[in-house]
Amino acid sequence: MGTRTLKSIQVQRYLVPVTAWIFSGIVLLFLLFPLYWMFVSSFKTNLSLYRIPPQFFPLNPIGDNYVEIARSKAFLTYFGNNFLTSISTTFLTMSVSVLAGYALSRMRSKVADKVCVGLLSTQIFPVVGLIIALYTFFLYLGLLDTRTSLVLVLSATAIPFSTWLLKGFFDDLPLSLEEAAEIDGCGKLRILTDIVLPLSKPGLLAIGIYTFMVAWDDFLYCLTLIVSDSLRTLSVGISMRYLGEVSYDWAQVTTVSVIGSAPMYLLFLFFQRYMVQGLTAGAVKG
Amino acid sequence: MHFLKGRDKNKIFYLLLMIPAFTIVGTCILLPLVKSIILSFQEYRMVGPIESRGKWTGFSNFLAVLHGNELSNALYITLIFVFFVVSLEFFFALGTALSLNSGISGLKQSKKNVLQTLILLPWVTPTVICALLWAWMFQPQYGVWNYLLLQLGLIHAPLGWLVDVSLALPSVIITALWRDLPFMFLMLFAGLQTIPREPYEAALIDGAGTLRRFVAITLPFLRNVIRTTLLMAIITNFKQFPLFWTLTQGGPMDRTTNLSVLTYKKAFINLDFGQAAAIATVWVFGLVLFALVYTRVFQSGERE
Repeated sequence: MGTRTLKSIQVQRYLVPVTAWIFSGIVLLFLLFPLYWMFVSSFKTNLSLYRIPPQFFPLNPIGDNYVEIARSKAFLTYFGNNFLTSISTTFLTMSVSVLAGYALSRMRSKVADKVCVGLLSTQIFPVVGLIIALYTFFLYLGLLDTRTSLVLVLSATAIPFSTWLLKGFFDDLPLSLEEAAEIDGCGKLRILTDIVLPLSKPGLLAIGIYTFMVAWDDFLYCLTLIVSDSLRTLSVGISMRYLGEVSYDWAQVTTVSVIGSAPMYLLFLFFQRYMVQGLTAGAVKG
Repeated sequence: MHFLKGRDKNKIFYLLLMIPAFTIVGTCILLPLVKSIILSFQEYRMVGPIESRGKWTGFSNFLAVLHGNELSNALYITLIFVFFVVSLEFFFALGTALSLNSGISGLKQSKKNVLQTLILLPWVTPTVICALLWAWMFQPQYGVWNYLLLQLGLIHAPLGWLVDVSLALPSVIITALWRDLPFMFLMLFAGLQTIPREPYEAALIDGAGTLRRFVAITLPFLRNVIRTTLLMAIITNFKQFPLFWTLTQGGPMDRTTNLSVLTYKKAFINLDFGQAAAIATVWVFGLVLFALVYTRVFQSGERE
């Protein structure tokens, strides 16, 4: 090794960690400051929100915004609707994907793999493109402005990925248990419910949380398929009520933002491991 | 069904299990897709007489759509948006993933996990809430960005961000970057952690520098992850709607009207479903074509 390479290795020894610290520090600041700002702003009055310079560390935080939101019937309706829609979607998606994923996995054929790719590729189609036709469908069926329509379309959004992920999960399970059960005369469905599902908890959690988050995040379906305010879900509800009508009541906007994100943060913190495993498994496998 | 052999019986059982999933996906995604293509060849307005709905008009919707510069403008906005969001998020996500994985030496796994959790928080924030939050920070008089930039002396007068003709699109790009970067990071970080240590040790003995090791070892190992995540990011951002709609509603002067917003406006504001379907058909076709070419190119690269 010449002196030049030795020197460059010495430089790299310090240069690389320092750059790494600075780089990731800046990215972290960029990602986390807005969340901090949302949180802090929700504890201020509108009067103090409109103060220059802004208070970066609020001296006397107030919970009035939260009290006001808790009393707001409209917000509670949106929140409840979002919850109901998301739970129903998760339930429907999970039960349907378990069946399809299991079938596709146990068929053990090239066709099943092709079907999976086909299912996944439906994710390319944009909601805006589909919604025009869906609107006319639901209008015709009399399902426009119902929660059923919302649950159906949201499930359709989540089923392809969930089925694919579960198929991959079932593929990795050892077949010997199932074969033994079959010899004992155990029915096919019983094998699925009593042997396969208990072994698949991580996979089930992963798709459950994925689906719940997809449903919780919905905006466009609710915007177009739901007309009555009493059926609106969170995203559309808050963007319609708190932007525009009240003309930018930022104290309330940031407060509903915190409450609207809180369930996602909680779910994520509790089940992060399963979600991360589930989501990355496919991409890393390729 | 006792006359069926065991294998056939199994097959029928499996097919039955798939029916519910395929019925839902079929009726809510595939049928609408077909119907939307049909609509694009019809006159279908939600205002005016009902009898006029569904009259076949050949290519007139497509001609009407292609006539103005609406479609080309929206395509331009979409491409600029996708290009900047995806390349910026790739750069920052890869940089952060590399930094946390190996750049900062001696970072414990538990600390890595905590940092990963923090980084992922924006990504679990609901999209519309991201938009509301950034709208508040972009607020011209009281927004925190203008304040900070003024204090740092980077600007001399408050910027209009979302209402400024030249700043509106960059503002949406920054918001999208904020929300999407974590996911890209997650994928790349997971990919990095699967790379075995041995090649690096061998390369170190051979005296290969940081850059050399990155190009010769890290990138080839990450290839699959990069391929999948880039495609996902391109598709997601190509379709982006809620961020645009909540932040700017496509304004000012259509500077943030991407293809999704244009399609939505044609359908639900102009109430012309026929033309909206034509727009959607054109760009969905383009997107599918792109995805096919993309996977083909990557596959042929793999065989070499």
